Amino acid sequence: MKLRVTLSAALAAATLVAVPASAAPKTDLRVGMAAQDVGQLDPHRAVSTIDRTVVAWIYNGLVRFKPGTMDPTQIEPDLAEKWESSADKLDWTFHLRHGVKFHGDFGELTADDVVFSLKKAGDAKTSAFSADFAAFKTIEATDPNTVHIMLARQVPSLLGLLTNYSGGYIVSRKAVEKYGADFTRNPVGTGPFAFVSDTPNQSLELAAFDGYFRGKPKLQHVSYRYIPSDSSRDLAFQNGEIDLIYGKQDQAWINRVRALPNSIVDVFEPGELANLNLNITAKPLDDIRVRQAIAYAVNRPELVKWQGADTARPGQSVIPAGYLGFSKDVGLVNTDVAKAKALLKEAGYPDGLTIKVIHTQLPQMLGSMQVVQAQLKKAGINLDIEVVDHATFHQQIRKDLSPIVYYAAARFPVADIYLTQFFHTASIVGKPTAVTNFSHCDVADKEIDAAKTELDTEKQVALWVEAQKKVVAAVCAVPLAEALQIWAHRTDLDYGYDLKASLSLGPLLTEATHFK
Amino acid sequence: MISFIIRRLLASIPTLLAVLTLVFLLVRVVPGDPAIAILGDRATPDALAALRAELGLDRWIGAQYVDFLGHALRGDLGTSMVTHRQVWAEIADALPHTIVLTLAAMVIGCLIGIPAGIWAALHRNGTIDVLIRLFSLLGLSFPVFVSGIFLLIVFALQLHLFPVIGNPRPGDWIDGLHKLVLPAITLGIVMAAYVVRVTRSSMLQVLGEDYIRTARAKGVPRRAIIWRHGFSNALIPVVTVVGLYVGILIGNSVLTEIVFNRPGLGKVIVSALTQRDYTMLQGMMVIYCFLIVVVNLITDLSYGLIDPRVKQ
Repeated sequence: MKLRVTLSAALAAATLVAVPASAAPKTDLRVGMAAQDVGQLDPHRAVSTIDRTVVAWIYNGLVRFKPGTMDPTQIEPDLAEKWESSADKLDWTFHLRHGVKFHGDFGELTADDVVFSLKKAGDAKTSAFSADFAAFKTIEATDPNTVHIMLARQVPSLLGLLTNYSGGYIVSRKAVEKYGADFTRNPVGTGPFAFVSDTPNQSLELAAFDGYFRGKPKLQHVSYRYIPSDSSRDLAFQNGEIDLIYGKQDQAWINRVRALPNSIVDVFEPGELANLNLNITAKPLDDIRVRQAIAYAVNRPELVKWQGADTARPGQSVIPAGYLGFSKDVGLVNTDVAKAKALLKEAGYPDGLTIKVIHTQLPQMLGSMQVVQAQLKKAGINLDIEVVDHATFHQQIRKDLSPIVYYAAARFPVADIYLTQFFHTASIVGKPTAVTNFSHCDVADKEIDAAKTELDTEKQVALWVEAQKKVVAAVCAVPLAEALQIWAHRTDLDYGYDLKASLSLGPLLTEATHFK
Repeated sequence: MISFIIRRLLASIPTLLAVLTLVFLLVRVVPGDPAIAILGDRATPDALAALRAELGLDRWIGAQYVDFLGHALRGDLGTSMVTHRQVWAEIADALPHTIVLTLAAMVIGCLIGIPAGIWAALHRNGTIDVLIRLFSLLGLSFPVFVSGIFLLIVFALQLHLFPVIGNPRPGDWIDGLHKLVLPAITLGIVMAAYVVRVTRSSMLQVLGEDYIRTARAKGVPRRAIIWRHGFSNALIPVVTVVGLYVGILIGNSVLTEIVFNRPGLGKVIVSALTQRDYTMLQGMMVIYCFLIVVVNLITDLSYGLIDPRVKQ
């Protein structure tokens, strides 16, 4: 009895110590990411979701998407407080904010850092996004707070290139010159959170940047932990060891996490559109009837049902829905297996045909491809899928080794980028200017090129719509489904904005993000 | 003894050289391009070519090999192609965690496996023997990623005795021990299942020998028969299996480290493989090989301690 009383007293004392009368909100955020390790922290080489998510917390662009959105019409000032352009949109002048500081001892941001950053972003030796800056003729600092950009030709969205996305991030020139190739492990930006340390294969630690120009962040510390096992990551979240978690584009996962106490599932844009890219120059796909048969055999609603209503929606065009220039009225056909069989017969394949395809072993992509495989089989098209690891998949599809390429991607939300990278002749894989045109599509170059320099937005959109119609009519690609971004956070975490979209593919952490 | 160790270490040099060569070729034969892994799907061929040149991958493979071998023989394993971290530094960070986990699992495996094997042999075909064999079968049947998740659900999620994330705080050995328990049990159970079987069959064989019967006939106490005459003679096959199993333990530690989110060589090697980080992969494989060589050497040396005839 005495022991029980003593224990009860000790427990009560411990409880009093552990829970003060007015407990202050937490200021340390723990993020669980599906990753073995972070790759590149140099923003101009940060291409994976793992890298891009964290880079967006460290750096700023000249302009930015309003937090929680990806609407090009809502781009707002970031490091530049204002800007103006010539009537022909070839000359642009950006006026920088005064007193913006870089992390650490790297001083104030100047126009020289901006010029250096944009030139670095446009150089193939130092950037993965150099192609985006091909139209930049000169970038000059006219005074310490003014940057002048002259373009060789109009680009669909110059502001888009200068946002807090991909090549638009501004780095410290002094830091890049000091660290050289090691800058990627010593990132220095102007964002709300500064790099502190990096433990290989474990975590990346960030601290609030008290000198942040929008004000001191409410969070003090962010621990970005790499937890590659889906099960372990989920258990850690469930156990309260993680506040924010990278989710799975899977309805069962969403339902399970939604049912947990104190958790909110975030489903947000951009949708990554998966297209079945058909090589129009390779047999038997060089016959449009075979490609049309594939288009008729694909069943998008069924695919969405398999992926989950909350995470997927049917593809409506060969570019993702909602992009500037997108149209759903582009002539996509609905499922008609009988028509698919008839087309195959007409093409000389009355008994069906087999096409060898290389595909990744990533579970989500493999599962979707297997559903497509089953759908095509009903029409007599047998996909012989060779499953390889993801790195091999990327290498082999760029060598044109797979006549059908399942590829899911999100890009800057203007039709030009997606159409250029996936359907313009210059982007055909194997060419010196190659990007991701796996279908060898060449039917809409005229419209894509004309839209790039069209200053009248209405005419520009009409050209992009026409390009989509031509790509669909030639069946260069068959749209499948768009998968939205899935994360989850604990109910006491408040992003400080309404998360509807994030081009970094992870929730943006701002100075306003806090625990309630 | 010292000359034996020196001879064995010298004999391992050709093995290590062969491994260096094989690893160098293997990582390059496997399809996949580090440049694409680093720069992603939007990189232009120019950017990819520039990065390949920066990484030295555009040079003739023979020149790359000579360069790699020259540096490796001087103890320089280079820097990671992807992360720019020093390979040695990353190994130095990860290796102690893998060694601690492996040793802990080995201790658990031996502490459970050897007594249980002896006990089963002494109660051959009895209830205890059947139960122990059943335990052994279960231990062998469950992959570590299943048993690991099961332990996490029970001991972390339900009982809150351990955290799910097993990354120990640097310098805090109590925290390190606490977070070592579940991963070590996960790995140790599988090892115990192996050791039980070998110990049991070895003991049964020895206990059936003529000299054991003679000892019994002479009235030697049962305890002395079991431990002095039986166990000490049954130990050599057990030590052989334990030595061999350490290699498997190091391999299995890959999955355990991922499930429990612990640092270690396993996580590093999986990360390097996913990203086609050639330099890191090469360094890791050399270390793995070296570890196996050392473990085999220790196993051989222990024979001499157990059985004086081996020394001669």
